[in-house]
Amino acid sequence: MKIFSGSSNKPLSEKIAKHLGLKLSTIELHVFPDGERRIKLNDTVVDENTVVIQPTATPVDQNYIELFFIIDALRRSGARSVCVVVPYLGYQRQDHIFRDGESVSLQVMIKLLESMHIDKIIAVDLHSIKIPEFFHIPLVHLSALSIFSDTIKSLFSGFVNDSVLVSPDMGGLRRISEASELLSGLPWISTVKDRDLDTGKIVINKIEGDPSKIKKRAFIIDDMISSGGTTIQSAELLRRNGVEEIYVFVTHAIFSEDAPAQLQKSIINKVFVTDSVFIPKEKHFEKLEILSIAQMVSEKL
Amino acid sequence: MKEDFILLTGRSNPKLAREIAKLLKKEVHEPISIFSDGEIRVRIPANMRNTHVFIIQPTAPLVNDSIMELLFMIDAAKRSSASNISAIIPYFGYSRQDRKEMPRVPISSSVIANMISNSGATQILTVDIHSQQQQGFVHIPWDNLYGSYALIPEIKSQKIDNLIVASPDKGGLIQATGYAKLLGAQGVALVFKERDVELNNKSEVLDMIGDVKGKNVLIVDDILDTGGTIMNAAIFLKSQGAKSVRLALTHGLFSGNALDKIKDSAVDKIFITDSINQKPEVLKNKKIRIVSISQLLAKAIERILSGESMSKDLIL
Repeated sequence: MKIFSGSSNKPLSEKIAKHLGLKLSTIELHVFPDGERRIKLNDTVVDENTVVIQPTATPVDQNYIELFFIIDALRRSGARSVCVVVPYLGYQRQDHIFRDGESVSLQVMIKLLESMHIDKIIAVDLHSIKIPEFFHIPLVHLSALSIFSDTIKSLFSGFVNDSVLVSPDMGGLRRISEASELLSGLPWISTVKDRDLDTGKIVINKIEGDPSKIKKRAFIIDDMISSGGTTIQSAELLRRNGVEEIYVFVTHAIFSEDAPAQLQKSIINKVFVTDSVFIPKEKHFEKLEILSIAQMVSEKL
Repeated sequence: MKEDFILLTGRSNPKLAREIAKLLKKEVHEPISIFSDGEIRVRIPANMRNTHVFIIQPTAPLVNDSIMELLFMIDAAKRSSASNISAIIPYFGYSRQDRKEMPRVPISSSVIANMISNSGATQILTVDIHSQQQQGFVHIPWDNLYGSYALIPEIKSQKIDNLIVASPDKGGLIQATGYAKLLGAQGVALVFKERDVELNNKSEVLDMIGDVKGKNVLIVDDILDTGGTIMNAAIFLKSQGAKSVRLALTHGLFSGNALDKIKDSAVDKIFITDSINQKPEVLKNKKIRIVSISQLLAKAIERILSGESMSKDLIL
């Protein structure tokens, strides 16, 4: 097996390779003055099982196109199989038509990946439960929930009776109930998010679930943080309802706009994320803790 | 009432799209917006059911975003039951990565062409695609028009005497002979080099075939990128006795320090089309004359709709 990495999250690729006792095969990447990218595999792949690791987070278009080029090069160079690891799958929030005249951008990306004759795809915490149904090729859908529940158990053991799991919106109910199962039935509630489709503005000011479940400590669990607005509004509503400590567990740290600064100055105690997406140094902040998905991914390769 | 056809454009060259729309007496929809994390969003407000949709989108810098915008517009049109979806791509990004010139590289242009076809386009239309063999990458109709349709009348109006048309490399000889014929030039010259196939733009030791002594030379090529190859050819032609050097190019990328090179060069005039939306520095440059291909593309759209031959009078 040979493992290649696109340019979007090399540190994660290196960790995954290390877990497998392998070295990353390198790719030469040249960016032309006009912005076109050109790649060249620096390792032979004839009759090899190959893996390419490339989360398609920001800059999403560039990362997807680089991934397509790498797959094309692997195929044309005689790889026996190509497994694509996309820890964060870009465009996954555009998974259905919200209003007439829109594209289903996620499905376009999946169709293109499939048209390139890949053998398997590995993704982590996809945004909705319907997304796996889009795939016609084997999909390994991993979840960081087990990493989060292990972290909660080790950091907060003995305090769980004072705690409640929280989904920031109703779309995360399945996720939060799964987390509850992993934590021996820890109670859960959800805050309710309303989004104005025209302005994109969100409002969170309602809690769904038995108010008696609200405890001293809350663990907000979600699949991604983008601008941070949802997470922070959810936390503020919990605080208004008497929650004292708030910890956030989120798989994909997209961190657009000034999310790191907003999260740091918020009432949230700590933000746990994974390394599914590369987080550059300038987006690190004191309350941030990064957990690795490398071992979990390596076990599926 | 249902429209007979619909025009869409992304962010890569709305100016050209609006000019085409004006010639066709139509509105052009600009349905692209961007989410805070950089993801593209498309929403086309028009009813597209049973309608021929034309998407005008050169895949010029920012090339990757331009490509994705095109794909999502195609997808949105398809999901809205458009009857035909023509991708009008005056400049086709990645078209220079059209072959496997060393081991273990992709054929990037083929990847892009297949993405466009697999997204649901029923037809592709380009202008001076870098190599015509690329039309075979996909199994949908792919028409290729020539920028010469717009450039030749402009160059003719300059009434250049003692004209020799030169190609700056071996690949451009066919285009150069075409221009020479259309312009009634005295002959053709070929400048050639040994390009290395490393992962960069480096060239070159030059030589030439033909005689340019005391002649006015017009170098023709499809793309001006950083201008390195073409400017070197211009310098070389001057050293071989050319009286003046002009350039005719279809696509102007003007990457890197291209404008500085042009300023310092011995090139008198550059004729270029508006296939790529130009930054103000290019528009203001006195050496650069931009000629619009909007009429060519408007006529092509009319012919696609009417079923007339594309080659008649449009392909020079």
